Amino acid sequence: MAGKGTHVALALVFLLILGVTTGVWVRGAAVRAAQAAAADSGVATASASDEGYCTGDLKKILRRVLTSCGLVKGGSSRGCQPLEARSVAAMSGGDFNALFVPLADRAAIIQFDQDAAEVDAGALALIDKTFADQRGASYFLVVSRASPEGSVSYNRELSRKRAEAVLNHIRGKFNDPELDQEVGLLWLGEEFAQLDREFCKWSRSRPEAPCTPNYLNRSAFIAWIDCRL
Amino acid sequence: MKRPGLGLWLAMGIFALLGVIFLAVSAYDFIAHLDRQVHAITCSFVPGLGAPDTSGASGCHAVMMSPYSAVLRTWTWGGIPIALPGMAVFLYLLFRVADIWARQAEQDAHETRFLLLATLLPLFASLVYFAISTFVVGSICKLCIGTYVASIGVFVCALVAHRRATASGPLPWGRYMLLFGEGVAFAAVPVLLYLSLKPASAVATCGDLMHPEDKAGVRLKLGTNPGGAPAIEVLDPLCPACKGLDQRLAASGFKDRLNLELALFPLDKECNWMVSESVHPGACMVSEAVLCAGDQVPQVLAWIFDHQQELRELGARDPGQLAARIRTDLPQIAGCLGKPEIKARLNRSLRWAVSNSLPVLTPQVFVRNQKICPEDSDLGLDYVLSRVLAGGATAARPAGGR
Repeated sequence: MAGKGTHVALALVFLLILGVTTGVWVRGAAVRAAQAAAADSGVATASASDEGYCTGDLKKILRRVLTSCGLVKGGSSRGCQPLEARSVAAMSGGDFNALFVPLADRAAIIQFDQDAAEVDAGALALIDKTFADQRGASYFLVVSRASPEGSVSYNRELSRKRAEAVLNHIRGKFNDPELDQEVGLLWLGEEFAQLDREFCKWSRSRPEAPCTPNYLNRSAFIAWIDCRL
Repeated sequence: MKRPGLGLWLAMGIFALLGVIFLAVSAYDFIAHLDRQVHAITCSFVPGLGAPDTSGASGCHAVMMSPYSAVLRTWTWGGIPIALPGMAVFLYLLFRVADIWARQAEQDAHETRFLLLATLLPLFASLVYFAISTFVVGSICKLCIGTYVASIGVFVCALVAHRRATASGPLPWGRYMLLFGEGVAFAAVPVLLYLSLKPASAVATCGDLMHPEDKAGVRLKLGTNPGGAPAIEVLDPLCPACKGLDQRLAASGFKDRLNLELALFPLDKECNWMVSESVHPGACMVSEAVLCAGDQVPQVLAWIFDHQQELRELGARDPGQLAARIRTDLPQIAGCLGKPEIKARLNRSLRWAVSNSLPVLTPQVFVRNQKICPEDSDLGLDYVLSRVLAGGATAARPAGGR
């Protein structure tokens, strides 16, 4: 009889240990699960870049330029001519160029022969390298120019061809379905916002060529803009 | 006066206690994950002394996350951990040892026979699980080894005790049935408590993809099952949790029911502007290798997962060496790595994540464009997938990490 009592008592003690242990563990997990469900996860959400240089003023001007020049969705035209660029930017050529100064390491200057809009091998490589380095940027600007030899209207047309040569290469090479919402063209001819020697320090497709204003403006300036509008 | 056989019964009790301890630690680690958070787990021959595994790299973690650590995974979230009834079996053996000793019945062969038969259960289970662990999971778990040793020890002690005992009278079948019933009760009590107290497991997804279309052609085919439910794995090839998810998915048996695609989301600041520090250095380059693989994506991904830790270390130490290693082992993609169009394609993959406002974390799984909540992607994967595939997912939980 005493043996049976011992057996039952021991069985109950061991079962109690087993039950309490399991119950405490599972209940603890349930409480933590409820607390976790109520807590904010704090995980960041994937988003495009919005760098520190994207100030309110810069965004305002960019929005104006981009909308008018066909970049932002809903824009009716593609590309801005010099007069349009000047009017929508509502600023001097120097101030317009100054907008791009913070983009020095995101930009490149694609250089052309005089009176030509064909991109050479060095230019193609630089376009590819620059365009492939999109990172989180939302907009890609192609701003083409011409040196002052020739008439104003001829140079305007020449700079348009240069901008389009760059765009055509990108379109053929990268097969990007969002290209039309990303890449915007401005052709400035010889009339507006010409590059000065300050830009000689920037990445150029012909770094060995002389860096005079004439050489520098036979070009298409390309840059990713890391701003969210 | 010292009773004969004290040492043997003491040893048997110690082996049974060791079995209880090792399996209690395993069960505790499993149950802790019912809160659907990430936890460090114990993986040591001396539980409590070794450093816990926080990275998920230990054999114990691999075994715990394998489909063999629990049963009925599609019936209840996480399933019922084998360690829980296992712990109960060893506690029952400990109880039997204490009971026989307390009643001074150690010379009764009827008692020792039943004890010996009872020790066959953990011994047989240990043999099966050793084979699974070695040949199927491919990882050896220290806690499991401790359990195997305890199983062998308690069996050998019971065998010796039985050979020393003497029988008198016919087999007491009635008593054996009672003892068997007690054993069943020991196993049933924790399992029933576990099932009744575990957190509720209503299946909910964590939101839908806003733009599931793949206009830029950035998603890669991982399977050849066009009739399966469309599913997307958002992975960083160098993320250990992504490797674990891929393995769990393969082991779950559900992979064959999915038309699986891969979206690359490397957490490496080299290409991903959304992270300020590289969580997995080298992941951008390795992702380029995957994009270069063409119709060999599953094979290249498998190679990356097989060498994941080594590639991650190379990426952190010397990206040049990482590129050389990829070019040596995957010569078919050597010329493609680093090309501007591949970099642009990887960027578009990241921008696909932006267009869908995905959380900056990996892995993520979408089935029929519904997001499997991150907290359901390990122990609860089978349970949630079975219901999502059956169309049983309900209202979306708030999206987020764990």
